[in-house]
Amino acid sequence: MNPTTQRKAALLVALTVTASLGLWAQATTPPPQTFGTTIYFDYSFNATDNGYLTGTDAAKALNNKFAFRRAYFTYENKINDYLKFRFRYDADNTANLTSVDFVKQSTKKDDKLRPFVKHIYLEWSPNFLTSKINVGMIETLAFKLAEDRWGYRSVAKTLLDGYKDITGVEVDATSADLGATWKGTLIRQLRFGLGVHNGAHYSHVETDKFKKFSGYLQLVPVAGLNVVAYLDYEKQTEDLKAMTTKVDVLFDMISNLNVSFEWFSHDNDAFKNANGSGYKASGWSVFGTYKVVPDKLGLFARYDHYEPNDSVADNETGLIIAGFDWTPMHATWKLQPNVWIYNYADGKKKGDVIFNLTFFLSF
Amino acid sequence: MSEKVIKWLVLAGLALALVFTPVLLSSQTRMLQVKGSDTMVNLAQILAEEFMARNPKTPIAVLGGGSGTGITALINGTCDIATSSRDWKAKELDLAFEKGVKPRLFAVAVDGLSIIVNAKNPLAQLTMEQVGAIYRGEVKNWKGVGGPEMKISLYGRQSNSGTYVFLMEHVMGNKPYSTDMKEMNGNAQIIEGVLADEGAIGYVGVGYVVERSSGQPLKGLKILNISKGVKEAAYSPLDKAAVDSGAYPISRPLWMATNGGPKTAAAAFLQFAAGPDGQKIVEREGFYTVGGKLQEQNLKNLK
Repeated sequence: MNPTTQRKAALLVALTVTASLGLWAQATTPPPQTFGTTIYFDYSFNATDNGYLTGTDAAKALNNKFAFRRAYFTYENKINDYLKFRFRYDADNTANLTSVDFVKQSTKKDDKLRPFVKHIYLEWSPNFLTSKINVGMIETLAFKLAEDRWGYRSVAKTLLDGYKDITGVEVDATSADLGATWKGTLIRQLRFGLGVHNGAHYSHVETDKFKKFSGYLQLVPVAGLNVVAYLDYEKQTEDLKAMTTKVDVLFDMISNLNVSFEWFSHDNDAFKNANGSGYKASGWSVFGTYKVVPDKLGLFARYDHYEPNDSVADNETGLIIAGFDWTPMHATWKLQPNVWIYNYADGKKKGDVIFNLTFFLSF
Repeated sequence: MSEKVIKWLVLAGLALALVFTPVLLSSQTRMLQVKGSDTMVNLAQILAEEFMARNPKTPIAVLGGGSGTGITALINGTCDIATSSRDWKAKELDLAFEKGVKPRLFAVAVDGLSIIVNAKNPLAQLTMEQVGAIYRGEVKNWKGVGGPEMKISLYGRQSNSGTYVFLMEHVMGNKPYSTDMKEMNGNAQIIEGVLADEGAIGYVGVGYVVERSSGQPLKGLKILNISKGVKEAAYSPLDKAAVDSGAYPISRPLWMATNGGPKTAAAAFLQFAAGPDGQKIVEREGFYTVGGKLQEQNLKNLK
């Protein structure tokens, strides 16, 4: 059989199989399927005009703007009581690459929001250790628990998730990646999570044979107090490895109040100073949320401390984020006014104050 | 006025809003939020209306959505009382423990979960095992359980329903439902489906299957007697003595849950629901009153 005939035969087989699956699917009741959309965008302006971030010409020119931050579209299909499928598109204002010219080796951009695949996974929930096993493009284990407690992803990412945005330092943390995770409960006071991923993040294809391994232990000694120890490790090339250690302490012991602490340190063989010595990047964050009137009004505040290079003095950044979450009419939309106050250990850098009015829509 | 001054004025205005909006909103009278079981939604609504008639300063909002939805809302702190027609699952108790929620359960009624068929179906009774086999999709024709030569149409609830979970755990041996089952939004929709379909079988709370005025089953509907096994007697969910004694095999308490000991308004409402006046409403709505042991537990949990 010549190659053209082979291709035609393969196409025919594929079409037949697809059609058969379609007929089979029509013969049964469609399983529960849900569609959901979550969008957040900001109106923002800089209250300072001489700070490290806000004092630049570009920042001054761009002051006073509306900006889309995220738009998610999620499809979920509950196949049966144990199996679920999720597909999620995400769009943000940096995913605006429109074309790649391989001949000229150039890219072209415009300002449109473009979707990219964030999640495609199967979730299996067997009756074993109250487990959840996810396979595909999945959420990583690194900061899901802290993010759930913070609860205001629309306002800001949590410390490790947003570290690169604030410091410009790549600490190899991503919210989704291709791979598999297993989360379970050994006893009510002790839970665990194990994961293996490409380590290439959701925005890149895998380019090497090395995989990232991650795991956490979650201790809940008393109701509402969680201590989570997390570790991930990846050999990134034959010669270089990277490791992140992280601790979360989550306090939910008072009704409607959450206070949490997050600390991490990232150790990467690729982190080298000009003199060849290595360094670590680290940070800590303390945050609190309070539901004044559940489903109507909440308050949030947070302090982050960023240490992008532990061998350099006076390069730390402190960030205060505070605001409130107001649902004026219906839970499908919220207003979340918030202020970001930056201060820098480097005396030459002046502080910044940025105000955002975040619009949150979910339906 | 310079742009800088305008910006600072806006910022100051928003800062004031930040301080005063929460104060103003928190000073408003808060509604007691009751959320969860669709089987219980009518009962909870009527209990709430009667309670509010006596306590006009305590507004109550009642929402359905399913037992799972109510339990999740209580864990997330978005309701005060979660209603559920099933026990809490281990994973829900784990999550509650993780988030510092200490569920305290109050039985407000007892339900004889009713297995219903179209009145034209000559079958009168089934065993628990037969009901399980039908809903697992292992028996697809009424002939397989001693009925007529007719295809079985399955009507049930969605997975967030407590009744869906209760039947799976107590009748189906924790095995999944047949994918042929039509997943309906509520008890009323299941009844509509069964009335319109001669081959239908459905499951609903006993409070939904009888006429309020006559106490007789709804016209066009047959309520099957259920036995624990082939050699044992079959009972109707309308037989109060059989439900109370446990001879009717698929009865269950209907729960209301709070996070920790109920606060003033919630405690008053729960006392009313589980007390003599509330229990009269429970009976009027076709459910059964709560017996000795459950009442003892209620009193203990109210403290």
